[in-house]
Amino acid sequence: MISNKHIGEVLLKLEDISLSFGGVQALSNVSFEVREHEILGIIGPNGAGKSSMLNVINGFYHPDEGRITYKGTTRKDMRPHEAARQGIARTFQNIALFKGMTTLDNIMTGRNTKMRRNFLWQALYLGPARKEEMEHREAAERIIDFLEIEAIRKTPVGRLPYGLQKRVELGRALTAEPDLLLLDEPMAGMNLEEKEDMCRFILDVNDEFGTTIALIEHDMGVVMDISDRVVVLDYGRKIADGSPDEVRTNQDVIDAYLGVPHDIPPDTPPDDTPHANPQP
Amino acid sequence: MQLFGGVNDNGRRQVRRFFGRTGLTRRGHEHQPRSTSPGGASELDTLPKLLLDNSKRLADRPAIREKDYGIWQTSTWRQVLDEVRALACGLADLGLERGDKLAVIGDNRPQLYWSMVAAQCLGAVPVPCYQDSVAKEMRFVIAHSEARFAVVEDQEQVDKLLEIKEDCPKLREIVYGDARGMRNYTQPFLHRFADLQERGRRFDAENPDFFLAEIAKGTGDDIAIILYTSGTTGQPKGVVLSFDNVLVTARNAAEYERLTENEEELAYLPMAWVGDYVYSVAQSYTSGFCVSCPESGATVMNDLREIGPTYFFAPPRIFENILTTVMIRIEDASWLKRNMFEYFMAVAKRAGADILDGRRVPLLDRLLYGIGSVLVYGPLKNTLGFSRIRLAYTAGEAIGSDIFDFYRSLGINLKQLYGQTEAVVYVTVQPDGEVKPDTVGVPAPGVEVRISDAGEVMYKSPGVFQHYYKNPEATAAAKTEDGWMRTGDAGFFDQDGHLKIIDRAKDVGRINGGTMFAPKYIENKLKFFPYIKEAVAFGDKRDYTAAFINIDLGAVGNWAERHHLAYASYQELAAKKEVYDLIHGCVEQVNRGLAKDPQLAGSQIKRYLILHKELDADDGELTRTRKVRRGFIAEKYTVLIDALYGDADHCEVETQVTFEDGSTGTVKGDLKIGDVGVSPAPAA
Amino acid sequence: MDLLTAVFVAPFLDMAGSPVFLAEVVIVGVLTGVMYSLVALGFVLIFKASGVFNFAQGVMVLFAALTLVGLMERGVPVWLAILMTILVMIGLAFAIERFMLRHLVNQEPIILFMATIGLAFVLEGVGETLWGSNVKALDVGIPNASFEVGGILLNEFDLFAAASCAVLVAVLAVFFHYTTIGRALRAVADDHQAALSVGIPLKTIWVIVWSVAGFVGLVAGIMWGARSGVQFSLSLIALKALPVLILGGFTSVPGAIVGGLIIGVGEKIAEIYWGPLLGGAIENWFAYMLALVFLVFRPQGLFGERIIERV
Repeated sequence: MISNKHIGEVLLKLEDISLSFGGVQALSNVSFEVREHEILGIIGPNGAGKSSMLNVINGFYHPDEGRITYKGTTRKDMRPHEAARQGIARTFQNIALFKGMTTLDNIMTGRNTKMRRNFLWQALYLGPARKEEMEHREAAERIIDFLEIEAIRKTPVGRLPYGLQKRVELGRALTAEPDLLLLDEPMAGMNLEEKEDMCRFILDVNDEFGTTIALIEHDMGVVMDISDRVVVLDYGRKIADGSPDEVRTNQDVIDAYLGVPHDIPPDTPPDDTPHANPQP
Repeated sequence: MQLFGGVNDNGRRQVRRFFGRTGLTRRGHEHQPRSTSPGGASELDTLPKLLLDNSKRLADRPAIREKDYGIWQTSTWRQVLDEVRALACGLADLGLERGDKLAVIGDNRPQLYWSMVAAQCLGAVPVPCYQDSVAKEMRFVIAHSEARFAVVEDQEQVDKLLEIKEDCPKLREIVYGDARGMRNYTQPFLHRFADLQERGRRFDAENPDFFLAEIAKGTGDDIAIILYTSGTTGQPKGVVLSFDNVLVTARNAAEYERLTENEEELAYLPMAWVGDYVYSVAQSYTSGFCVSCPESGATVMNDLREIGPTYFFAPPRIFENILTTVMIRIEDASWLKRNMFEYFMAVAKRAGADILDGRRVPLLDRLLYGIGSVLVYGPLKNTLGFSRIRLAYTAGEAIGSDIFDFYRSLGINLKQLYGQTEAVVYVTVQPDGEVKPDTVGVPAPGVEVRISDAGEVMYKSPGVFQHYYKNPEATAAAKTEDGWMRTGDAGFFDQDGHLKIIDRAKDVGRINGGTMFAPKYIENKLKFFPYIKEAVAFGDKRDYTAAFINIDLGAVGNWAERHHLAYASYQELAAKKEVYDLIHGCVEQVNRGLAKDPQLAGSQIKRYLILHKELDADDGELTRTRKVRRGFIAEKYTVLIDALYGDADHCEVETQVTFEDGSTGTVKGDLKIGDVGVSPAPAA
Repeated sequence: MDLLTAVFVAPFLDMAGSPVFLAEVVIVGVLTGVMYSLVALGFVLIFKASGVFNFAQGVMVLFAALTLVGLMERGVPVWLAILMTILVMIGLAFAIERFMLRHLVNQEPIILFMATIGLAFVLEGVGETLWGSNVKALDVGIPNASFEVGGILLNEFDLFAAASCAVLVAVLAVFFHYTTIGRALRAVADDHQAALSVGIPLKTIWVIVWSVAGFVGLVAGIMWGARSGVQFSLSLIALKALPVLILGGFTSVPGAIVGGLIIGVGEKIAEIYWGPLLGGAIENWFAYMLALVFLVFRPQGLFGERIIERV
């Protein structure tokens, strides 16, 4: 494919982020930036702090130290629904959908941040709220069409197979029309065909809507294929940051993935942490 | 021989009787009331002329619908003309000329239907291709038809064409409908559908007389379309059909079945299939009814419910799947619903078909049927989207009588028809009120049918195709000198003059001793049992009939669970003694059925075995359309066949299989062989 | 033999013998049922939207009724008193969110349940302190005349109660299913974290749902209070709502209504026709027996979401 993608300014900048739970240091002094319209892959062995990183970005975790600059505003941490309102949408490693609700309803909840009228207005004035509802429905239908999930529009998501649930979750994040989309292992547990579909959707999202995407993924092949840039975390530290080719040949990265013992930083716990199972 | 002699007589009598009723016509459309427009200006002998007429006559009535973004979007006949006009002018501006071929690839979309008619306006010939074929399969059709243009649905199809473009030097311009994912395609020969129409509108403004003049040049003898048939063997053949072929046949059938502009039809079968062209295009244009395109392949059941078609076609497989879904839902329903369903379905079985055919039914049954309609049949038909069906067809292969009867007993006028691409579908059709599950009806209007001495079904009709495109040998093989068309199917007329198809003529063999052996007929009888998924019968030049059987993992698995049988795999389940007993009963029942027909009584199954693996297209045992490849299987499993015709009661076998990811492995099995008793033939 | 006749034949003969009387019994039952439904509705709302079984719902009914009576005793006109009570209930919802729920986000349901038991005690105590513990009459001006239709005696008050209940239910059903906020409520009930990630403010949702439950509680409180006086036993009708919920399903608004009606009618008929046989007072335990039967045969209730565990 001939790409004429234009990677723009810095959208999100993380500086010296540190985060610990009890005595475990999940992230230490991590800094990197996400630029407009790019697909950034975040990789690293198990327990390297990838999910924590996403949780910091969308405000589920509040870092102990560091600064987050998003859309030019610098702050110490984010709040989840504030992050959502500012255009950060995400999916979860273990699908967090509203299981009892239909696909359509799930996707419609993604429109919450787009609500112009406040809740009481919604409850009291059916007229204008209805018109707004129609607009939201149209936006939701476009996403349904985009993700080719028309057939399951009215199916409660709890009854869907895993791969489709992942797709619905992506749909919910997309209807928010996010500026920054965070994907936590979007292809975990999928078969080859489902992975290919998901890859295509991610690339199409990036391409069609110009959405900036930061994704965590275990499947190295996938990450290297679709990312414009890759950040590698290990032991809660950033060990590499660059184009897929640069990262692929980086000695630290190779060591980390092969589990070669290296200088353990003083603030990281010994080897009985989840880090003990490096990915092949 | 007695059979064919007698049947032949019956058949001819039937043909005579039929023509006695409607008059023998060489050119059917001369007898059509609407063959000339009210003004008497020109004959409506091409689809573009019909479109012009419809856009005046039916102007603001709906012509086609498409579900997009969750809403049905309707286009009227007038709007369709606008769209087609813009498109035709755009294509002309782009260089499409009279006689050019235009490939059409994608799911059923209004835009694609319009592009077929737009091509015909210019005297070009549309060549629809199966949208799910891989690039390699598509290459043959595009290259062989020498298509210069292609109109495709989306990026997926564009990618396929780009892949094969080098092998198809004639292919020049590609038009795509859905722009999604096409942002980075910069090739100059790719055009967006909307842009092309825009271009066409400009062209039209500059050349205002062009469009109508082009349409006026067309005549009924012109080639309307080339449809490639997916042959089970060899390369596909391009069936060339003229407007006369298509329109006369479509009108004859529409008149016979009294189709009107008020029908509703769902266009969900592949556009490359002749049936879709006849139902969703030709008859929609001749009768003026509205066609609806489903949202996607996966939503068809839902769209069916929303549209509620009055005119419906589905291959037996679909009717079977729907019935299975119903049965599963009933199993899960509450006690009350389940019992109500069972009680009223018994009533329907007793009385439903008779009420549908207008025969006498006891008053009590009629009353119960009425109650059943309110409580069960109505709601059921409504959920299935069948409540408005006036006419439903099934064809393509034999349908199980249980399945067939189920729909008819609900009051759905489901009929079988027998046809071919080469005949523009219609060869025989079941008349209203004379429907039998195991025949395909009487010759369709304008069609003459006879049985050759070799037992092959042959016909003559106004729909008989022109020739196979660039394949005169095949044409000569299919059409006799005096214009009879060979179907390649073996069959006979029963005592009521209804045609009964038993098998492919070339597959019909003889069992040593002379009894006719029709493998597919026997296999289908076996496959009508829900427990049997596939069957392969052997018997030609053998002493008796023997069969391989594949159980249906779903149905037998369910049965096993209910009988507390544990199993871990298909192979383990297939080897169970209890399963053998279950299948044994099915085989015996098939034998009883065969015994009833004097000609087939000698071909009862004596020995069978249940295969240790499922027959699979990936292993070459089935075609991609899931038809068994008997020859290949016979070769692959020689050991098993030898065992079936020996006296061993079991046989060891090792088979190579291909897994989903493309890797291969082996499966070993020790198969039991079942012996079945033979039912006595009726005293002749 | 006599016993069998008394159980299986005589009551039905009685019913057939005097259809008018039967109709009256059924109507009384329906109207009692409506009351049960109203209380059960409060439970369903909170359960649906937050997965919390709110043990304090009964006390909220009492608290609302007490507040209303208390205000009216101090000379506040009816309409203003109702308005003020609504505001009090909304204020209560804010307080509950601020002091209780906010600290329990993402906790086990059982912990939230325990918290609502605590809440019940607090509310009861506060109500008693503020408004005293005497039985009080509540008169909000609902007409209370009786009239006859086809020989059946009807009461305007009961009809009014039934009508307001119907309206309330219709509004709630629309609210839950067709509004964005209703969808947000259901989303929060399903998965807190996911709801947060799509930008649903959890706090606001809690407040809304508890306010609505408070409002429903007030309606129930007015109806019960106006009928049998405002007293502390009012909080005990929460116990009657439990079998209603088991019958109707914890997550179904229509279930709460139908469940309430079945129990209301069932216990009245049982009391009148079979009561004498068992020495009376069937009414007190009939509902629980029925609930028990349902728990055995249909644990998800009549309308509840089927409990399907997928692997």
